[in-house]
Order: sequence, then C-alpha cells, then structure tokens
Amino acid sequence: MVTSATRGAGPFVAPAAILSLLVALVPIAFILYFSTMEGTSVEPFRTILKSSLFHRAMTTTVVVAFWASIISLVLGYIVALHLARQTARRRAALMVLVLLPFWTSILVKSYAFTIILGREGIINSFLSWLTGAQVALPLIFNRFGVMVGMTNYLTPLIVFPVLASLLAIDPALYRAAEVMGAKPIRIFLTITLPLSAPGVLAGVLSVAVMALGFFIVPALLGGRQDLMLANLVDFYTREVLDWNIASAVGVTLFALVGIFAIPATLIRRTKGRIAS
Amino acid sequence: MREIELTSIELKDVSKSFGSVFALRSTSLSVRKGEFLTLLGPSGSGKSTLLNLISGGYPASSGRILLNGKDITNAPPRQRGIGMVFQNYALMPHMTAFDNIAYPLRVRGYSKDDIRTKVTDALARVGLTGFENRKPKQLSGGQQQRVGIARCIVYSPAIIMMDEPLGALDKNLREQMQDEIKILHREIGTTFIYVTHDQEEALNMSDRICLMNNGGIVQLGTPDELYFQPISRFAAQFIGESNLLAGSVDDAGDLRIATGYSLKVPDHRGLVRGQRYEIMLRPERIHVARDGQGEVTPATATARGTVVGVSFIGSMTTLAVELPDGTLLKVKSTSLPAQNRYKVGESIGLRWDPEDLVVLRSED
Amino acid sequence: MTSGKSHIIKDWRKRCLQILGTGLAFGVYLFLLAPSLIVTPVSFGSKYELKFPPASYSLDLYRIFFSTEAWTQPLLLSLRVALSTTVIATFIAVPAAYGLVRFNFLGKKFLLALIMSPLVIPSVVFALGIYLYFSTLRLGGTTLGLIVAHTMFVIPYALVIISAGVQKLDPNLEFGAMLMGAGRLRMLMTVVLPQLYPSIAAGALFAFLISFDEVVISWFLAGPNTTTLSVKMFSAIQWEISPVIAAVSTILTAVSLVVCLINVALQKGGEQSS
Repeated sequence: MVTSATRGAGPFVAPAAILSLLVALVPIAFILYFSTMEGTSVEPFRTILKSSLFHRAMTTTVVVAFWASIISLVLGYIVALHLARQTARRRAALMVLVLLPFWTSILVKSYAFTIILGREGIINSFLSWLTGAQVALPLIFNRFGVMVGMTNYLTPLIVFPVLASLLAIDPALYRAAEVMGAKPIRIFLTITLPLSAPGVLAGVLSVAVMALGFFIVPALLGGRQDLMLANLVDFYTREVLDWNIASAVGVTLFALVGIFAIPATLIRRTKGRIAS
Repeated sequence: MREIELTSIELKDVSKSFGSVFALRSTSLSVRKGEFLTLLGPSGSGKSTLLNLISGGYPASSGRILLNGKDITNAPPRQRGIGMVFQNYALMPHMTAFDNIAYPLRVRGYSKDDIRTKVTDALARVGLTGFENRKPKQLSGGQQQRVGIARCIVYSPAIIMMDEPLGALDKNLREQMQDEIKILHREIGTTFIYVTHDQEEALNMSDRICLMNNGGIVQLGTPDELYFQPISRFAAQFIGESNLLAGSVDDAGDLRIATGYSLKVPDHRGLVRGQRYEIMLRPERIHVARDGQGEVTPATATARGTVVGVSFIGSMTTLAVELPDGTLLKVKSTSLPAQNRYKVGESIGLRWDPEDLVVLRSED
Repeated sequence: MTSGKSHIIKDWRKRCLQILGTGLAFGVYLFLLAPSLIVTPVSFGSKYELKFPPASYSLDLYRIFFSTEAWTQPLLLSLRVALSTTVIATFIAVPAAYGLVRFNFLGKKFLLALIMSPLVIPSVVFALGIYLYFSTLRLGGTTLGLIVAHTMFVIPYALVIISAGVQKLDPNLEFGAMLMGAGRLRMLMTVVLPQLYPSIAAGALFAFLISFDEVVISWFLAGPNTTTLSVKMFSAIQWEISPVIAAVSTILTAVSLVVCLINVALQKGGEQSS
C-alpha cells in the first residue's frame, strides 16, 4: 500500500556507496590504468597475445570452465532431483549434506583431495590393496585433479537454483501426466526438464562465471600445464613482477567473465531479487 | 464559520498521478465531524489512493487537504494525528497485544500509569481483556483486527481510517465485526473513513457512501440514495442488482424500449421527447403472478414474458423473464415453499410502479 | 490379466528408476562430503605421516598447531580481521539493505551492481586491483588494508541475506508506526530492527565465515606480518604437505559446521516468527 519512496535513501546507502566506489570501482580503474601503461598504449595486450603461455592458459581456462560447468550440472541435477522428491523434513536434513561442503573452505577441500587422490593417497592405496600390486594412478597435479576439485566446489551452486525451480513445479502436473498414461521418462522429459530450465540456466551461468576465475584449485591440484588465467595473473604479479602484463591478463579474464555474467545478471534481474 | 466547525476533513481539488497515469482525478470531498463515510468502489477505483493521500502515504500531485481547518497537505504522517486500521492488521509481530496498543502512547511520551489505564480500557472496549500478553501470532484473525482497532482508538486520533479491515475474515465474523465497528463508532463519535469493495458492508455501516470508479467520485450520498436513486449505470450495477433498459421517448412521453415496448415514466422525471435514455429497475420491485392468479392480471400487467430461468438461493428466488421483444428481466421475490410453481417456459405477467423506474445519467 | 501384468512391469520399472536416482544422488553426496569427512580422522593421526585411516590416534597435530607461532599468529590475525570485517560490514549492509529495498532513486541499479561486483568479478582480478591500489596508498601488507578489502568483499553476501529479510517486512507496519506518531529513527529502532535480528545475525555469520576463509585477496595483500591463516595454509599445502594442515582443516571445517548449523537454526526461527 505504500509505494517505494524516491527520496530519503541517502543516509541509508551512503556508507555502502562510498565504500564500493573507493574499494570496488577504484581497483577496477587501477587495473585498466595499468593494463594500458597508464592509459598510453595497448602494448601489454599485444605482448600477451603473442605469448604462448597466455594462449595455453586461455584455452585451459575455457575448456576447464566448460567441462567443469557441464559435469557440475549433471551432478547437481541428480542431487536436486533427489532432494525435490523428499518430504520437507527429510529434505531439510539431506540439505545439510550439500550445505556443509558448500560452507567448507576450498583450502580444506583441496587439501583433502591431495590426501585422497595423491600418489600414495586413499584411492591408490585402496587399489593397491585390492590388486595386490603397486598402483600409482596419476590422479592429481593434472587436469583430472583440477576437474575433481572444481566440480566438487561448483556442484552445490547448481543444486540451489535447480532445486528451487523443481520445487516450483506444481505436483498436480505429475499426477495429471501419470493419469494420462505417461511413463516416468516421458514425464521427466516433458515436464521436469523444461520447467526446471530457468534454474538450470541460472545455475550454469553463475557456475561458469565462477569457474572461469578459479585460482586456488588449479594452483593446488593442477600441474604446471593446467595454469588458468587467474594463476597467470598471480604469476605475472608475484614472480615476473610485471604489473602491466598482470593487469592485461586480468582485464582479459574480466572481459571473458563479463560475457557470461551479463546474461546471468539479466536472468537474476528478471527474477527480481533485490532491485524492484 | 459553522461550516468549518462541522467539517472534519476536506479535500479541495486533490489529484494524484503516477507518471502519466491518474490514480485520482481532481476530487473535492468534505467529511463531517463524527460521520461514518465509506469509500466504496472496485479495485483501481482510486479509493485506496484517496486514503493514502489523507494519511500521508504519499504526497498529492495537486490540491489541498484540510483537517479541522488546518492544512495538512504536506505534513508528514506522524504529525497528522490520524489513526489507521489495515487489512492485513499490520501488528508488530515482535510485540505483545499490550505493547502494540501501547506503541502510539509510548511514542507520545505518556506515563507508565496512563499507558496501563488507557491500554486496559482500549482492550476492554474491543472485548480482548485478558489477551494483553499474547503475540499477534497467538491471536485469531478477528482478534488481531480487534487489537488493530484498539491501537487506533487508544490515542484518540481526529479521524480513524479503515482500509478494508474485514477483508481477510470469513463471512460470519465479518458481519459480526461490522456491527461491533458500528457500535464503536457510535460510542466514541470519531470521524470514520472506511474503505471497502463490499457493497453490503458499505450499505450496512455508513452514514454516507462515496462511490468511486476510474479514479474519481461517481456518487456521494446516503445508502438509501445510492440504492434507490443511482445516478449512473455504474452506480446502479455496482450496488444491488438491476435491470437496465434503454430506449427513446415517444410522442406520448413514454419510453419506448427495443421493439415496441412502451414504459410509463412519471412526468416529474423530466424526460425530453425524442431523446435516448437508460432506465434502471430493481429486480425486487417487479411483482409477478401467473395469469389469473394473485395480484397481477393481464389487464394490470405492465409487461408479459416467458420464464427462461429459475434460481433458488435461499431467502430469495430469482427468475429470468424474457419479454416478447427479447429483453431479459431479472425478477426477485421472497422464496415460498411452493416456489416450484414457476417453471421454465411458463408465461407470466409482470407489474411495477412507474415510480420505481430510475432514469440514469448517460455516461458517454 | 495382461493389463495387470503390464501394471506390475510399469511399477517395477518406476521403482528401478527411483533406486537408480537415489543411488546416484547418494554417490554425489558422498563425493561432496568426502573431503570434509576425510580430514577429521587424519587430523587425529600421527605427526610423522599422513595416512588414512591413521594407524594410531593422538592430539599431536593440534598440540603442534597451537604451540607453533607460525600457525597461531595467522590464526589470531584471521580472527581479528574476520571480527572487524563482520562488525563494519554489518553496520554498512543493514542500512544499505533497507535503503535499497525501500527506496527508488537515480543510479540505484548502478550502485547495486557496484556493491555486488565482488560476487561477479573473479577474486584474482579484484585482488590484483586492490593490491595495485593499496600499494600506492601504502596499505599493502597492513591489517587495516586486509579489513577494508574484506569488508568490501563480504558486503554483497551480507546484503543479499539482509535484503531478503527486509523484503519480508510489511511496509504497512513502518507506515503505521509513523502514522501513530513515531519519528523515522524511532520507527527504525522499534519496528524494523527488532524484526530483522535473525537476518542480521545470519548475514553477520556469513560475513565472518567468508572473511575467515578468504584466500585470494589475502594472498595478494599479505605481508610478512599480515599472513592470515588461510594464506599460511595455502602456501603450506603448496610447499610442505605437513600433517598439521589436517588439524587446521578440521578446525576450519568445525567452524563451517557451526556456522552452517546456526544458520539453519536461524532460518527455522525466522520461519516460525514470521
């Protein structure tokens, strides 16, 4: 009954506005400034475009982010589907199985995977015991390790939006389809899948945005050849000490993320979360 | 001088637009002290806008609002001294009934003793003695709204506004609370402005009804006036049931409807020959009887028709009667045990007093 | 007969699919939980070797952790930074959430995008920008720099949670309070804040955990005396696979579990009171 006021917001939002101008906008300006040699040339971009290291990191980033998103989607969908079919009470209990990993530090998970996947890790030890021979599968410090670590981190992020859209489906639709004689697989293909599409899309886009910027998992679980753009930023900043190149890589990564972030925010906006 | 003393709230050419959309077209309205005025209308008619302008929910686009002669057009809500009861109760969920009712008193800096006396009194008035320590969640809908009303009367505001206060309650409780609110109004004598879209509620409770549509006032008058002398088709249809007949006035001064039916209209209605008019006839003002039975005979019948529908809804029975020219008339009469004597396809006579024909103002 | 038979087959098929789905789901649950579950037993194992399951159980690793200054210093720093960040971020996010939900103003979308930007911008990019910026301000390697950067980083999360709380509030309550004579400040303190406490608590908890676990920004801003626990751990995993890390991991997991449970409890409480 009272519509949003147009005046009087100042005192409420001023602290947040000042902070985000100073600590979010200015840093972005700094990267742009450095990436263009204080605004004078595009040399840093030229340099990275010629660098094979950059090309490899770029390819790795896109390929890894793509597959990590797809695998997380499959795993997340399986879980969301299972959760959606439970009673509210059971669902709340099972949710903890997703929430706890979600809340666990990525360092803890990465460290745990070094224990699980290592040369003498749990899996290799188990396989050795099983076969009686020394098994040392290379499960870590390679692409496989990166994928395991990333999907483990990203799957919960798929579960939440997909579960929300699955729960929004009117259960009467399932009963109606059953009464009309549809088989479970047909019901899944014609009702569940299309009606959960918005959640899937929102989930995949936000997961892709996260995956593109991954830094810790490739650093801890990947090999030298699995460097992603984020690691390259770190490499140029701390080891080469070339802030211009580091910034140029950062800008590139930012732009890459932007391609996915814009549709993701548009979807979120249509769902109307904070903005009215 | 006398006028001002008697006027509680006065709106002078007040309008409200959101962007290019008019929520309320330029409106003037004067509410008398101690009056129970109901704003009645469908959703989007402007009644809530009017309420919001009076309470200060948002500023008026133009015009002035006077409360007891004082200009409050731009005063912040808290300085207006107005009380409001909301449809969704709007009770503080984290406060007990007592604290909810005490809130306006605490804001005004009353002493602890005063607060206790006044809150206890207000609770007693709405019949909630003993419920002071309940949280809103522990109260039924009706009880919550009683707390909402007590919270209003406790600080004796100049006007009490109620925005569809009974909208969320079921039918029986709604009727009971209508009576309670009427009694309360009589006892405290404060000006009430009541918003509803329920015509029966409006007819039952109000001193005057302000009927609104499309962001403007359609008709302002007593419940009797609105029911028996609606001025437009909208007013006739929104309040009660109605038969609408359109036609032009023939040389004899009768209204000729559709194909050849002529209706006698009292001279004092001032019809002009040759003009087109729309006329309303309430279904319960039509008397009905089978040929040769009862009070209506073919000789006295004003019209004859065929029953095309019978619906029995308890106390009343509604007949749909088709006149020879195809016009459908709704006829309503008290149900009788032998009601089944009217059957679809049966021919019956209808009669009415020409005084019951109301000439409507043309809307276009 | 035949129709009955096909019915049984249909049911049997449906049942199979259900079992398959449940099996797959529990496989994924296990995959998600395994890392959190593995570190705990390892942390109670021997200080000489990393083994699962450990050959013998002891508290050695925790003893080493709490008696080594190279670990306790970062732990204290992380707690200090996370606490300061939480307090500051909450004081900024609560009014911001109210202002953004209740008001419409010019540039609102831009402001919202700016505040939420740390959620979308890769942490590395954000971290590099702050690193370059703070280097010129001589804030690099200082606790203050860490707190400021963390505050910006956690605000979006706190804001989302607290705004959700504000959105559930009935604006009529606020309008009604002002109509009954309350001033804006009084209305905010007596009507808005008391109803928001559960959301504020959840937002603050979230802020604390995110600051405490944050690695990338801290990694860029860390100086010799400003190494947070997560930065120390990050370099430790990279360079020395010391079993002590298992103890740290268990502590971090325990913190996450506590925050997670408190959050679940708060949500339940919130549902009941609304």
